[in-house]
Formats: sequence, structure tokens, C-alpha cells
Amino acid sequence: MEQLINDLKLQIKEALNLEELSLEDFDENAPLFGEEGIGLDSIDILEIIVLLEKNYGIRLANPKEGKAIFQSVKTIAEYVQANRKK
Amino acid sequence: MSLAVTGFGIICAIGNDAQSVLRSLQEGRTGIGAMRYLQSSHKELPVGEVKLSNDEMKRMLGQDEKSIISRTVLMGAIAIRQALEHANLDLKGKRIALINGTTVGGMDITEHYFMQMKEDDALLPVLEKHDCGSSTREMADLAGLKDAEVCTISTACSSAVNAIILGSEMLKNNEADIIIAGGTEALSLFHLNGFNSLMILDKEQCRPFDKNRAGLNLGEGAAFVVLQKPENLTNEQNPLAYIRGYGNRCDAFHQTASSEDGEGAFLAMSEALKMSGLEPQDIQYINAHGTGTPNNDASESAAIRRVFGEKIPPVSSTKGFTGHTTSASGSIEAVICILSLLKDFVPANLGWKEQDEACIKPTTDNRQQTTENILCNSFGFGGNDSAVVISKNASPSNSSQKEQNLEVCTLGEAIVEDVEQLQELREFISPGEARRMGKLMKAATITSLKALQAAGIETPDAIITATAFGMLETSEKFMVDMLENGEETLSPTLFMQSTHNTLSSAIAIRTKCHGYNMTYSQGSDSLEWALRDARRLIETGKAKTVLVGFHDEATPTFQEFFRRMEKPIPSMLYSRSIVLGRRPAE
Repeated sequence: MEQLINDLKLQIKEALNLEELSLEDFDENAPLFGEEGIGLDSIDILEIIVLLEKNYGIRLANPKEGKAIFQSVKTIAEYVQANRKK
Repeated sequence: MSLAVTGFGIICAIGNDAQSVLRSLQEGRTGIGAMRYLQSSHKELPVGEVKLSNDEMKRMLGQDEKSIISRTVLMGAIAIRQALEHANLDLKGKRIALINGTTVGGMDITEHYFMQMKEDDALLPVLEKHDCGSSTREMADLAGLKDAEVCTISTACSSAVNAIILGSEMLKNNEADIIIAGGTEALSLFHLNGFNSLMILDKEQCRPFDKNRAGLNLGEGAAFVVLQKPENLTNEQNPLAYIRGYGNRCDAFHQTASSEDGEGAFLAMSEALKMSGLEPQDIQYINAHGTGTPNNDASESAAIRRVFGEKIPPVSSTKGFTGHTTSASGSIEAVICILSLLKDFVPANLGWKEQDEACIKPTTDNRQQTTENILCNSFGFGGNDSAVVISKNASPSNSSQKEQNLEVCTLGEAIVEDVEQLQELREFISPGEARRMGKLMKAATITSLKALQAAGIETPDAIITATAFGMLETSEKFMVDMLENGEETLSPTLFMQSTHNTLSSAIAIRTKCHGYNMTYSQGSDSLEWALRDARRLIETGKAKTVLVGFHDEATPTFQEFFRRMEKPIPSMLYSRSIVLGRRPAE
């Protein structure tokens, strides 16, 4: 699980070009969206959906389905763990 | 002053000419269905294709089937020929201008030949047919308008209405005698996959304004209108309708989403009504932009409610017939509005079943009803929102004369020509904000903000961009990924930065400018068209300050293509912004 969380952090940082966010400061429990957390938006959700399909073979047809999944890196990791195809 | 429409031409999913389009509208027959001509792996996506192959269209235009001509150009030339014939024009000695709205341009042939172009010199000339401006030039030639002035507007999905707006302004300011204005857009793998990456394509028939709407269906087509001053019509010509008012405003909210209260749409509709001299209750039909995405339809509904209050006239989106024909949608729907005026009917909003609290209730049957004045909405990515009022009768004359003795001058200017200079961006915005920007966007942001700073202005009254090739870097990345790795898992960030109007609208968002917003893409003439527009805005009192940007970039592959063609090599980066204004009183 820890390995998966670290992989996801790296993949998200790269895909979203989050240059100024160091991996140490990237808290897997921090909310990804909204002002208090990492501050991502709806386009970032779409990029994360692409990333999950590319790296883990997970297909999400509707970004709205993803609301619960995309709360934090931790919740994404749990979803990937349970649903990954590769 | 109202401008007379003396002819029109149309080709889209529901017909190859005005007669067949009218019949489909009145019989409630959609043109959306399974993909037939576009060679995409996304067969699950319904589309509104023109029911002709490229070869069939080439034959209609008397062209060799072996010649490489983009589908955008073929459809455009067919619609222009129809419009010219319809208008019964005497072109001799007249100043004629073709104003075309497109974003895709020659993308369909570029994506088809790109990989081969890397090896085969004989295919390199395809590149010269890629940009929007060259598409318009080629259409003019194919339609027998070799001597016409040509101009291309590229404000994404509102391009064609903005072409009608520019043409109208040129007539009012006596810059032309005859205007042919409209838009054309063929389906391409590029934008089908782009819209798909944004997850806004419905896998079923689109349902504009319905509670369960799940996105849009892409369509294709072209439509053009012939515009003239009413006093210049010959005895053989009939005014079919009048362009009575129009508004071009910017939502200045988000690159791909509309604001909740529909501010840009509200401002555009209000401006169009004001110019027409009409009140909201004088409008008998609204042809909505109504794409079928959850966001657009709710935002547009909010804007319509703000303008019309409790008394909303019949509204329908005709995209359930044609699909969303993107850059051509404005003129395709303007022609549908003219047909509605001529035949006194309101077309149905196909696909609607269930009321959504957030949306207006559209009219679902094709009804016979007298129409005098119609409002036609057309909105684009980046909040490029426009609206036009089309009427049976001309408004009482209120000609917009240029103000006398008014001098236009430069208030501020900035240039970026080197990638090194992009570090200056940190002075203006945080790395977090810059993380999605390609190099041209960064350069345009720097020069715009510096020029405004030099002029001592935070928010200009209008923003105009000139770009010959647009967002080459992000477009090429997206296309190459698609061609090499297939039509899955493509990046929405790259696509949302691929339209030419990305620059103008991003700067509008940053400077909170809800005013006039326009993007020209006419090769090396782009800057001249942009400056001409800026001067016109200032001289007619429509704006006091205008930010004009001239932005272009290249990529290593693009430069290599030009090197092999032995043509001047375009520079890697060039961005120049100028703030124009009135010369202050002495």
C-alpha cells in the first residue's frame, strides 16, 4: 500500500506538473480539491482519470462517479488496490 | 443600422442545402447517427456528419478527386457557392470580403498525412493547408471569389457568429460593399478525441436542457450569409432578413466551463438586444446554444432567465438535429433562424423529456408560429460568448458614425522573443497557476500584463488576439500522442489549450475583462486585421482601451518541415502586446 501511495504521488505530481509541491509535503490524507488542500480542480480530475487508465487499467466513464474516490491520494490508492487490472 | 441578408447557403447533417435542411427541421428528423465518414475508433459516439464523402464534394466543386483538400474547405466552398447564387449578386466593381469562422481548419488532412510528412517531401505542402487562414483563402478561390478580401475568425464555437458580427461592422463602417460571412468545420479525430478527453460527449443522442443530459454530440457543416446595406440592394435582390443587433462579450470565468450565472452570455444577449432597439418581449424565439452538457445548459438557462425574467419566449437548441457543429454552429443556427422567420415556425428541441430545475423548459414540438425577431446564441470555450438578433424588419436607422478628430495611439507595449524571457512570468503569477501553460501562453501572459502595466491599466475594455498558427506546441503534442498511441487516454489539458482563442480568453480571465473578445487567424495578415478591429472599436466609441496581442510559436518538427520545404523558418516564439487607446486631450 505504501509503495502504491508513493507511486501515485509521483504520477500525480508529474501529470499535473505540480513543480512546487515536494513529495515530502504531499500528504496522502490531505484533500486534493478545495482551498484547504492541494487545490486541484475539475481538469485535474480528468488528468487523474487518464493516469489511472494508463497505469492501472481502470476506466471511469463519468467524472461524477469519482467524487468519493478522488478525495485524497489515500482514497485513490484504496480504490486502485481494489480495482486495478494491471 | 440593420444589414440585409440577401442570400444564404448551408450544408450540415440534416441536409446539403437550405431546402432539405428546412424539410428535416419541419419533419423533426435528426441527422445524428452512427459514424460513417470519420475514421475513428470511437464508433460508440454518435455524430452529426454531412452525408457526403470528400470525393463526392470534390466532384460537386469540379475538383480532381486526387487533389488534397480539407473537408472543412470543401463544405465551406459548397455553402458559399449556394449563398452567392441565392443572393443574385452583381459582383462587378464591388468591394467583397469573405469572413469565415473556423478552428479546425485543415486539421483533418494534417492528422491524416502527418506521419507520412515526416518521411515524404512530396506531402509537405499539406502543411500549407493546415492553418485556418489558408483554409479560408482556398474556399474563396473554389467559390470564385479570388479577388475578395479574406479574413478568419477563430473564437472556437462562437467563430461563425463573430464572423457575422465582424462583417456587419465592416459594412457599417463602409469598408466593404458585399460581405459573405459564416463558418465551416469538419469533424476531425483531433477534436473528437479532445472533447472526449474532457468527458463531455454523450454516447446517446444529445438531450439539450433535459434533466438527464449527459453531454454533446459533435457535428459538422458550413453555412454562410450574404450581407449588404439595405440601400445598396439591386432591383433583382430581395432582403430575406436583417441582422438587427449583436453582442460579443466574454464570460472571463474558466477555459472550458461557463459561469453559474452565465455572465458572459447575459452580457452578449443584453448588448445584442440593446443594439437592435428591441425589448425582451419583442423576441418570439431564442435559438439557444444548448449543447447538451450539464454545465452549458444550466449556465445559459440562468442567463436567459436574467434577460427575460418570467416571460421567456419559445426556446430550442437545434443541436439535436445537427449535432454541435462547433465553429460553424453560429452561422448554421443563424440560417436556421432565417428559415424560421421566412416560414413562420419554431424548430423543436429534440431529445428533451424531463424538466431540470436549473434549466429553462424548451419547446419540444415543431410549431407554426409567427416570428418577427429571433435571438440566436453562440458560445465558445474560454467564455467567448456572442449573440445576434435576426429580424423580418430593419430597425429605424441609428447609424454608428465614427467620432470625428479622434486619434488612436499606443499606450503601452511589450515583446517576448526568447524562451529565456519566460522566467519573467514569476513576477506576475505563481508556479501553481502557470503549471498548465505552454510556452506561447506564458509569453502572451507576460507581454499582455507588461503592456497593460506600461499603460497603467488593469482591465482593458476589449481584448483582440492575432495568431497565424495558434497553439502549435500543445496541439502537436496532443495529435502525436493520438497518432502514435491511439485514441485512448489523451490529455484534456493539452486539448483545452489547443484552440486559437485560448490566449485571448485566458488573458480575459486574468484581467477580469468581460468586454469584446476576438481572435483573428489569417496568416501573416492576422495582426493587421486585429489592429483594424481595435481602431474601429476605439473610433466608434465602443472601447476606450484595447489590448491587442500578436502571438505565434513553432516546434522543432514544424521548423524542420519548413526547412525541408526551403521556406522561411518560423521563429520558436514571438509575442507582442500593444495597448491602444484614444490620444489623451492636450
